[in-house]
Amino acid sequence: MAGNHKVRKFFFPSFTGKFLIRVSIVALSAYLFFGRICVPIRIQGFSMEPTYRNGGVNFCWRLGYTFAQPKRYDVVAVGLAGRKVMLLKRVIAVEGESVEFREGKLFVDGQGIDEPYVRYPCTWNLSPRRVDPGCVYVVGDNRNMPIENHYFGQTPIRRIMGVPLW
Amino acid sequence: MVKIKSLTILLLVLIVGTCSVLYLFPSEEKKIKKQFALLSQWASKDQEENIFALVERGKRIVTLFDENCGLKVPPYSIDGRYTREEIAAYAARARSQFSRLNLEFYDLNISFPEEGLARVSLTGRLTGESPGKENVNEIRELQCVLKKIEGKWLFSEFEMVEVLKK
Repeated sequence: MAGNHKVRKFFFPSFTGKFLIRVSIVALSAYLFFGRICVPIRIQGFSMEPTYRNGGVNFCWRLGYTFAQPKRYDVVAVGLAGRKVMLLKRVIAVEGESVEFREGKLFVDGQGIDEPYVRYPCTWNLSPRRVDPGCVYVVGDNRNMPIENHYFGQTPIRRIMGVPLW
Repeated sequence: MVKIKSLTILLLVLIVGTCSVLYLFPSEEKKIKKQFALLSQWASKDQEENIFALVERGKRIVTLFDENCGLKVPPYSIDGRYTREEIAAYAARARSQFSRLNLEFYDLNISFPEEGLARVSLTGRLTGESPGKENVNEIRELQCVLKKIEGKWLFSEFEMVEVLKK
């Protein structure tokens, strides 16, 4: 009987002042957490396949670089004009390093870099270019397209919005 | 009882009055967002169009633009001013390349540096399908300038911001 009453009270609470305050706190916390810190995202596009598939869901953890800097192999969310749409790309080089592609293989400072996440064939050629100070070089994992059709390049670190949670 | 009834009626009148004012006298931001919504609507297509429909849509699109509109796209070395007729021709040509096309705008940040001038920073997304079933999914950050001419906000300049620099 007492158990039934508790269950009933849980699903049909009384609208007291305390209840309304609790609901407001939970709603505000959820808004702040999922709106500003751990933002749900839906992946649209094929540039990060097969690592992140088109239509997949994830969360953008905004605190990922609060006390750290992006490093090679990190997947990052690059911000555009606002927070609703971001680019999901992988960091392949950091400031000061030179980036080059030869027949699809990545070279950083003249050294070949292993990229096990690139599963589809790639035949890109890109002459060496140095990453500016305060920037990182980002590319998608899906390079099975002409180099002109893939949106990649160096971007200021201040544009990095966060990291995917998984 | 009478008091509650009067208060309810007063509240309803206030709500209806506020909604009417907001609908009949939209703010300048709303007017500008409406222009972007119209551009998105008229540029998009979800099926093949005949030549007359293409031209008709092109004519509608140019009514949103100033007599002379500046276009700056650094990655493709496009930098110039175009008349309405040129924009109509380019729009019709560009739309004819796709069997299905969707243009959307997100994260509009509107500012008014001076009277009759608006600067908008936003994210534009173009998705579509070519007749050869090739998918297109392009996202770019844009900077636009609109001028208020004869009570209407018209696009005066479009600039693509280079977020990722190859």
